[in-house]
Amino acid sequence: MSALVTVLASGDGAPLWILAAGPAGALGTYWAIYRYYRNTDKSHAFERDTLIEAQPVQGHEEKVDHISRTRDPDIDGDNSAKYRERVRRLR
Amino acid sequence: MTQDDQHSDAPAAEPRKPVFDGPPLSLEEELAAARAEPEAGPTIETINDSLADGVNRCPKCGSTDVQLRASTGMLVCLFCRHQWQEERVEEEFGLGVGIDELEGTVIASGAQEIAEGADDIVTLTCGGCGAEVVVDTAHAMNARCHWCRHTLNVNQRTPNGAVPDAVLPFKLTRDEAVEKIREFAGKRRLFAHPRFRKEFVPENVLGVYLPYLVVDARAEASYTGRGEVQTRRWTEKSGDNSVTYYAADVYQVDRSVSFTVDDLTMEGAADRAQFDSSTTNNIVNTILPFDTKNAVRWNSSYLVGFTSEKRDLDVADLSPKLEDQLLSIGRSQVHGSLDRFDRGVRWEGEKVDVGGSRWVSMYLPVWIYSYYQENTKMLHYIAVNARTGETMGSVPVSQWRLILAALTVGTFLEGIAGAILVGTA
Repeated sequence: MSALVTVLASGDGAPLWILAAGPAGALGTYWAIYRYYRNTDKSHAFERDTLIEAQPVQGHEEKVDHISRTRDPDIDGDNSAKYRERVRRLR
Repeated sequence: MTQDDQHSDAPAAEPRKPVFDGPPLSLEEELAAARAEPEAGPTIETINDSLADGVNRCPKCGSTDVQLRASTGMLVCLFCRHQWQEERVEEEFGLGVGIDELEGTVIASGAQEIAEGADDIVTLTCGGCGAEVVVDTAHAMNARCHWCRHTLNVNQRTPNGAVPDAVLPFKLTRDEAVEKIREFAGKRRLFAHPRFRKEFVPENVLGVYLPYLVVDARAEASYTGRGEVQTRRWTEKSGDNSVTYYAADVYQVDRSVSFTVDDLTMEGAADRAQFDSSTTNNIVNTILPFDTKNAVRWNSSYLVGFTSEKRDLDVADLSPKLEDQLLSIGRSQVHGSLDRFDRGVRWEGEKVDVGGSRWVSMYLPVWIYSYYQENTKMLHYIAVNARTGETMGSVPVSQWRLILAALTVGTFLEGIAGAILVGTA
C-alpha cells in the first residue's frame, strides 16, 4: 500500500492520482442527478424562514489550553453550523 | 379446559378488602385537600365560538350550500351568490402579539388533546330533511346530504382536537397547480423511470388540507463547547514534501440567547412527521412556510371540493420536537458571534427553557400529485404550496439510465486524465 502511494505521488509529470478523476466523476454524477430527482436532502429551513426576534447574544469565553503543533487545520467535530445536530442536553 | 376446571381447586372467593393507601388523613388535612386548587394544566383558549350549532351557514340567507371561490379567496353562497370571507385569526384572536409575554402552555381549543377512541366514521342527521348521512372524518370533514343537498359538517360531532381553529384557504387554482407540477416533472424527464413517464398525468392532482400546529413561543437557549483560534501557521520541509503545521489557543465557549418565534409550523399528522430515507415525507415539509398570517377563522365551507386529513399528534407529542427546533433556531442565532474562532467551534452541551408557547391548530392547503412506485414500494409526491406556489417533489429514477450516464462521464474524465498523463510523461 505504501509503495503504491509512493508511486502515485512521485513522477516528473502529472501525478498518477489524477486517474481517480474517472471514478470520482462517475460517483459525483450519479449522486448529483439522483438528488436532483429525489430531493431527499431538502427540508423546510425553519431557522431562516420563520419570524424570529432575538435579544443580543450573551456569553463569554475563557482560554483553557494551547495546541502548539498540529497538522489539523480545524477543530475536531465542528458543529457550529450544523444547527440540527443535537448534542448532550444540559439540565 | 373450561373456566370451571381452571378454578375448581381455588379457595372460595373472600370478600374484597379495601386497598391500604396510607394512614387515614386528619379532618384538617382532608379539608385542606378538598379546598386545594387543582394542579395547573395548560390554558385552553376557546377561540371559535361560532361553531355552537355545528353548521356553517351563509350569513345572508342561511343556506349551507357554500364553497370557496379560489380566484378571490372568498366563500360564495351557491344559493344567493353572496360572497364573504371569515375574519383573519391573526387580528381576531391576537395571535401575532404578546409572544414575548407568553407564560406556560396556551392551547387554542382546536389544538386540544384528541379524544381517545374517537371514531373516524360519524353519522350525522341532516338538519334540512332529517336523513342520516355517514362521514368518514379521516378523509373529509364535511358531506352533502344526498337527498336535499344540505351541507353537513362535523364541527359538533367530532370530538376534541379534530376540528381546527383556523384554515388557510386555497389561492392557487387547480390549473396553476397542474402547470407547476408539469414544469417540475418536465425538468426531470431524462432520467425518470420509464413507467413514471408513461403514467404521468398531472391532471390527477388533488387539493388537500393538511393539519398543522402553528406555534408562537418564547425561549432562552444556552450552549457550551470548545472553540479554537489559530495563533500560528508554518510549513516544514520533509524531504521533497512540505507539511503545514498549526498552533492554536483553545477556549471554553458559552453562549445564550433569548428569542421569540412567530408561527413556527409543525406537522400534525404522524405519517408525515417522520423523515427517514425510506419515505418521501420531507417533500411536503419542504414547501413550508405558508403565509399563516392570512389564515381565517375555521369554517368548514372552505373544505368543500377538497379532501382533508385529520390531525393525530397532540401538543404533548410535539413538545420535544418544538424544543429541538428552538435549539436549532438558537444555534443559528449565536452563530454570528463565533467569528473569532477561525478554527471552528464544537458545541458539547445545550439547553432550552421554553418560557411560554401558544399552539393553534390550522389546516393548510396543498396540491398533491402522488405516484406509487411498485417495484420499490415507495410513494412519490410532487407537492405545490397552494398559497406561495412553491413546488417540490420526488421523481422515481431509472437506475440503468443513471448508471449509464455516470459511467459515460467517468469514462470521459478518465480519458482526459490518461491523455494528461501521457502528455506530461
